[in-house]
Amino acid sequence: MNAEFLALAQMAVGGGLMGMAYALVAYGFQLTYAAGKAVNFGQGELVMLGAFIGLSLTGIGLPYWAAVPGAMVAGAALGWFVERAAVRLALQQRNEGWILLTIIVGLFGVSAAENIWGRDDKPFPVPWPEGALEFFGISVTWPELAIASGALGIMALVELAKRYTMLGIAVQAVSADPDAAELCGIRSKSAISLSWAVSGAAAAFAGTIIAPVTTVGPTMAAALTLKAFSVAVVAGLDSGFGLVLAGIALGSAENLSGFLIGSGWREAPGLILLILALALRPQGIFGKKIIRKV
Amino acid sequence: MLIHFNLGLREKTAEWIMRLTLFSCLAALPMIWHGEYALGLLTLMTVYGVLLIGLDATVGYLGQINLAQAALFGLGAYGAALAIQAAVPLPLALLVGIAAALIPGAALAVPSLRLEGPQFALSTLSFATLTVIFLNESEPVTNGALGLSIIRPSLFNIVLDSTRFYWLCLMVLFATWWASQLMLRSRFGLAIEALRDSPTATDALGIGTLRHKALAFAWGSALAGLAGALHAMNFGYLQPAAFGYDLMVILLLGVVFGGRRNQWGAFAGAAVVTMLPNLLSNRTLFASLVTFGCFLAIASPIRTLLTRKLPSFRQTAPVAAMAAALALAVFASNVEEWRKGIFALFLFAAVVGLPDGITGAATIILRKVICFAPDPLPVATGGIQPVASPAGLALHALNLRKSFGGVKAVDNVTLEIMKGETHGLIGPNGSGKTTLVNLISGLYKPDSGSLEISGVRPIPGSLMSAYSARSARTFQNLQPFSGLTALESIMVCQRDGGISEAMGWLHAVGLEAKARLRCSEMSYGDLRFLEIARALATRPYVLMLDEPAAGMSKPDIIRLVDLVSTIKRAGITILLIEHHQDVIAELCDRVTVMDGGQLIALGTPDQVRRNPKVIEAYLGSDESATQAKSEIGAQPC
Repeated sequence: MNAEFLALAQMAVGGGLMGMAYALVAYGFQLTYAAGKAVNFGQGELVMLGAFIGLSLTGIGLPYWAAVPGAMVAGAALGWFVERAAVRLALQQRNEGWILLTIIVGLFGVSAAENIWGRDDKPFPVPWPEGALEFFGISVTWPELAIASGALGIMALVELAKRYTMLGIAVQAVSADPDAAELCGIRSKSAISLSWAVSGAAAAFAGTIIAPVTTVGPTMAAALTLKAFSVAVVAGLDSGFGLVLAGIALGSAENLSGFLIGSGWREAPGLILLILALALRPQGIFGKKIIRKV
Repeated sequence: MLIHFNLGLREKTAEWIMRLTLFSCLAALPMIWHGEYALGLLTLMTVYGVLLIGLDATVGYLGQINLAQAALFGLGAYGAALAIQAAVPLPLALLVGIAAALIPGAALAVPSLRLEGPQFALSTLSFATLTVIFLNESEPVTNGALGLSIIRPSLFNIVLDSTRFYWLCLMVLFATWWASQLMLRSRFGLAIEALRDSPTATDALGIGTLRHKALAFAWGSALAGLAGALHAMNFGYLQPAAFGYDLMVILLLGVVFGGRRNQWGAFAGAAVVTMLPNLLSNRTLFASLVTFGCFLAIASPIRTLLTRKLPSFRQTAPVAAMAAALALAVFASNVEEWRKGIFALFLFAAVVGLPDGITGAATIILRKVICFAPDPLPVATGGIQPVASPAGLALHALNLRKSFGGVKAVDNVTLEIMKGETHGLIGPNGSGKTTLVNLISGLYKPDSGSLEISGVRPIPGSLMSAYSARSARTFQNLQPFSGLTALESIMVCQRDGGISEAMGWLHAVGLEAKARLRCSEMSYGDLRFLEIARALATRPYVLMLDEPAAGMSKPDIIRLVDLVSTIKRAGITILLIEHHQDVIAELCDRVTVMDGGQLIALGTPDQVRRNPKVIEAYLGSDESATQAKSEIGAQPC
């Protein structure tokens, strides 16, 4: 009994740590949603591309510490590109075209990755030590710890920047009311672009910390987008750190159901949870309710 | 345009002729284009045609990004395949396929249809992923990832070879096309278009947003099931992975590429989706097609450059995408490997450059070349007639309260309006007038208090229920059905009568001449009158007008006063929110004044105007005026 419980706890902890990575990708959704009420349906593709770029950078001899910022810069550029090419026009026209266009840009990203890096999954080398740490009989590997601390670190950093720098406050003003912000001399478009770039950088960073655990491949994108969406929506697209809790819950649920029901059903509980959350509380568990105005 | 034809033909007739020609050509195609492979492709195209017509119901007409269609298609295919394995005759297998998609589709529709935009897309996306997991993991039934093989059954003892099966699919496509068109051009279709523009208005006018959304989604799901059943019989082999995200994206993009809200567009999308992989295998043909596309895309920015302006993003982005596609066609070592990427580039160019798809663009050109005869307008009948509403109070609100956070927007309001009375509701900005109307019309649910309209107690917080109690309202912020014409806007919310009665309502508000004008092209004042006509067409006992004269020109206000007087003479009870005191004085029997969410005065317009409390609410007392001034001065900028 005790051994079984320990195995389950091990599963839950491992999943929860991985769930932090989902939370980080979901955080990218939050950033862009706050700025322009749009999210990138190709966010998973950005994660995948970030991981591949990081892999290539280590491939040309750069150390991991240099490859990660390099991938983040590339991710920021990609995020900026998605906003400029796919989102801006549709948002100006106030239609849902951006959903399609971000899917399209993501599709191109997958195709490009398939042709540049190949269709097969590749391992991602990391400088973390081998072996694992043990707490109360539950072992935690170094890459898993890196995911948790990296995800929390980046989120904390961006949140601090949002609250305590002029630029961050300007972005917050734009998310509250873009027209009013513009009247106060803030360039709304630039602020939205910046949010997308930061979101892209976060996605690329997520790629470089997830890849050591999962390997890198073009197929990782679609599944990640959906998981990150589940986290973001269950928590609420304006929930702040609520999504860390949702991420941990989803990651644990995934591992446990994979273990208890069967590996094919791994993703099912998260998806059912997502549909239920959308049906019962569309604004998310930690989100605020929207009032219809006429 | 250089060429101009005036055929005196109605557009509808022309469309019929073109459609019949298309189907005759398609039916004759197997005579020229032989071979199993060609027939397989043609059949796939018709199957996708059915599927995309179904997808268009949600993506096009409802305007929601639906990512579940591929999964529903798969469910239909598996349902039919399992039925065929159980030796069920072909027509029944088709029905099983439809049911296999319709039932889970309905189960998805119930929670999802309250959602909008990204949330709706997301819930359908998770449904799609769940479906593939389910098909993969239910190995005893579906044979899991190994796949399921079936043999095409015969139809009433006729052996269906590839050609015959193709003809069967073609007939199904024709029937689907026709049925879809009939349905979507009926009042049902108008309602769907209306609710896309303003779900609040469709509920307030009793059209029923959720019901129509659910029906449109069900129709799309049923067609997905039908297409799936045909697909299973066409291929004879099914695998869960084939119905995943990739197919979904391709289908979605097919609809957008072909053109939304249009069966021609769905068919064109199906043709492109089916034929593109084959085009890619022939490099020269593909390269020349892309070059042609490049020229098409570059024409529009060049025209702008010639007028010495900079082309917009909408004009340049397609050129960039097509140039990238051309580069791939020429330089990539294996074009087929880039299939998804090239598809993405095409789509990007189409979504940005041709928002109505290729058929939309073709329609615009056709309409420029050929002058179609306009549909004749019927003679107006009906209009505003005396109403026999039940005796007693027309509206009785008792102790209504509503607060938003800490703000008491409506604070313990009791209001009694007599039958046939025109009752004014005035007060400074933010005094809670619109919130009160929102409570009465059921947009908001009151925190406490009760409400009775013409002797009926509507369900609190239900627009539809308030409509059933025979109340109707207009909106301070206009809620037009932008995609519909003025006439269609009336027809979609009429309680009874047909097109000539609809003309009657337009005549009553003086918009008869603008019947065929789209709401998006109408002026602000006209839209305000159209909203009143819409509300009148529901034949209300109680009519709530929320600032009808706001933003209107002087002559329009005179027209409005005349109109409201006519409505009043017909015996309809009116609750009028208005800031124009002359309008209030001229029309209202009694006036209620609100301030800070509370009623502060009630009486005839004259009494109210002299009430010191009212004067204070509008102009402030001496003390508070100075206080307010200093507050404004102290505010940081």
